[in-house]
Amino acid sequence: MAEAPVLGPAGRTRARWWPLRLVSTVILLVMGGVVVASALITLSVIRDQERLLLRERTGEAAAVLGGAFAGVQSSLLLLGAIAATDRGHPQLFASAAHPEVTAPGQGLLVTAQRGTQMTVTAAAGTAPAVGSAIPPDQVRLAHRALVTRGMVSGLVRQGSRRWIAFGLGNAAGPATVVWEESALASTVTTKPSASSPWGNLDIALYLSARPDPSTLILATTRNLPLAGAQYPFRVGADTWLLVTSSPGPLVGSLAENMPWVILVIGVIAVALTVTVVETMGRRRDYADRLVEERTASLQNAMTELEAAQARLVQQEKLAAVGQLASSVGHELRNPLAVIMNVLYLLEAGTGADADEATRRHLATAKRETSTATLIVSDLLDYARGREPILGPVQVCDLVTEALSVVPPPAGVQVVDHCDPGITIHADRDQIRQAVLNLITNGYESMPDGGVLTVSASSESGSAHITVTDTGMGMDTGTRENIFTPFYTSKARGIGLGLAVTQRVVEAHDGTIAVESTPSVGSSFTITVPVMATMVSVAP
Amino acid sequence: MSRYTVLVVDDEPGMRDTLAAILELQGYRVSSAIDGETAFLAVQAESFDVVVMDVRMPGRDGVSVLQEMGNPPPQVILMTAYALEEQLRAAVKAKAFAILHKPFDARRMLSLVSDASQAER
Repeated sequence: MAEAPVLGPAGRTRARWWPLRLVSTVILLVMGGVVVASALITLSVIRDQERLLLRERTGEAAAVLGGAFAGVQSSLLLLGAIAATDRGHPQLFASAAHPEVTAPGQGLLVTAQRGTQMTVTAAAGTAPAVGSAIPPDQVRLAHRALVTRGMVSGLVRQGSRRWIAFGLGNAAGPATVVWEESALASTVTTKPSASSPWGNLDIALYLSARPDPSTLILATTRNLPLAGAQYPFRVGADTWLLVTSSPGPLVGSLAENMPWVILVIGVIAVALTVTVVETMGRRRDYADRLVEERTASLQNAMTELEAAQARLVQQEKLAAVGQLASSVGHELRNPLAVIMNVLYLLEAGTGADADEATRRHLATAKRETSTATLIVSDLLDYARGREPILGPVQVCDLVTEALSVVPPPAGVQVVDHCDPGITIHADRDQIRQAVLNLITNGYESMPDGGVLTVSASSESGSAHITVTDTGMGMDTGTRENIFTPFYTSKARGIGLGLAVTQRVVEAHDGTIAVESTPSVGSSFTITVPVMATMVSVAP
Repeated sequence: MSRYTVLVVDDEPGMRDTLAAILELQGYRVSSAIDGETAFLAVQAESFDVVVMDVRMPGRDGVSVLQEMGNPPPQVILMTAYALEEQLRAAVKAKAFAILHKPFDARRMLSLVSDASQAER
């Protein structure tokens, strides 16, 4: 079963590839742009802030480290002075140095150059014994210390042991180096602690100005190299490098997530705004369409009302005319009958004695009386307009009969193309009258002669009767009015023939069509159902 | 010459006179009546072979005269300028010899009168 289409004010919805209206789209784009830009700017500001904070924290840590090692240089200077004044009494150095040794694995010592070797001349803590030689790494460091103003520092390896050594050249006399050395754990990685100068930062400390893995002495993570802030700082005469990164946001998690917060809130705000604008827009459109449709239907109703009123007025007019026609027609029949009787008497009275002129005048009077009789018949046919009384009608017989009732005028040739065997269910008198009217009409349109063709055929339940003439034809204005009662383009007649024909055809549930070309001719086609059903038509 | 008698009934003098003239010309003996009542009385008083009578007349109309004619009734030809209602037409057809629609050709009228006068009553 076919589903009835849901019609309403939205009946005219157009398919749009873009679901939003223009204003919503503009709002979406502008607000979306603002939101994304705000989020990006906030992100950039927060990253800058994060970098700045990391750099500050790194600088602070580096300052603390630098300060600690500055203390080493001054104690080495002091111990060097002690060692210089008490040459040959290493116990004095040892007792002076002893308080400085604060951690296991820490040692303080003095070395002096003896030829190509460096030997220990005084020691405290875990330093090598007096008189022993120092490892080659430390010798290289000692050579650098001797030519450098200020403390040098470096990593010393011997076997699997490593330690960091600070050396101050010529501190206990020429060609001497005073050392502080601290053993380093076998692994460089230690856990960060809150008490360390760098707090919770991940750090890597290099004994060089660049992040050279061979100079790494301390790291709080295995994920090296670190990709954070690099902060070089001076330790004695050398430059160390502190590299840090922050495992967590220094600006705080709220600040870190602020861009996302802005983005999410912004997207929600944009969505809400667009939804509100879209809803309001659609409501307005709906209201507009409603108003439009109501206006249109009102206009339609007005038009229909006007047309109905016009039809009513026309019907009333025609009914009044019909009534008038009926009484005039009937009243004319009596005098016409008397005139015909008189003409008969005149003819009979004069008989063969009548001269030529009298006979001609009598003939004219008879002809005109016949015409008047026909006009009255037309008038009464139209005024009567009775319901069809249906019965089987042989179309070809009917056509032949109609053609025989009105003989063709001089110069007109009649062609009868009738498919035999067509039977319609119709009112014989009425259909005959209709065909007769078309034939008479055709004759009258060919005053100078021509060909009148009557054809009948049937197809798919309909019978067609066509009357074609080669007469004067009609212009558009005439063609539009030929079925209007009392309209006529002829000098004679009162314009009811075709009106009667049309009414008869319509009463048989049929149609009448006309084609016409001026100076070429006209063609009228009656189409009626083979089994006509009665249709009531107002008289 | 025909010896048949014909009564012409019509309230229109022109119609009455011309019909009478035409019939007389053909040798019928013609009487005239100017309305239904007169015609009814005439038919009671005298025997006619044929009555040619208008339907619509002042007073008594042709149909009522036709229905009440005594025995043996003459052959009646009704003349009318109006279409008869279906019911009336059936009733009239049963009793009347013929119905003539005005205006008619005089020759047709004569032929009907001739037929009527020779018809069995």
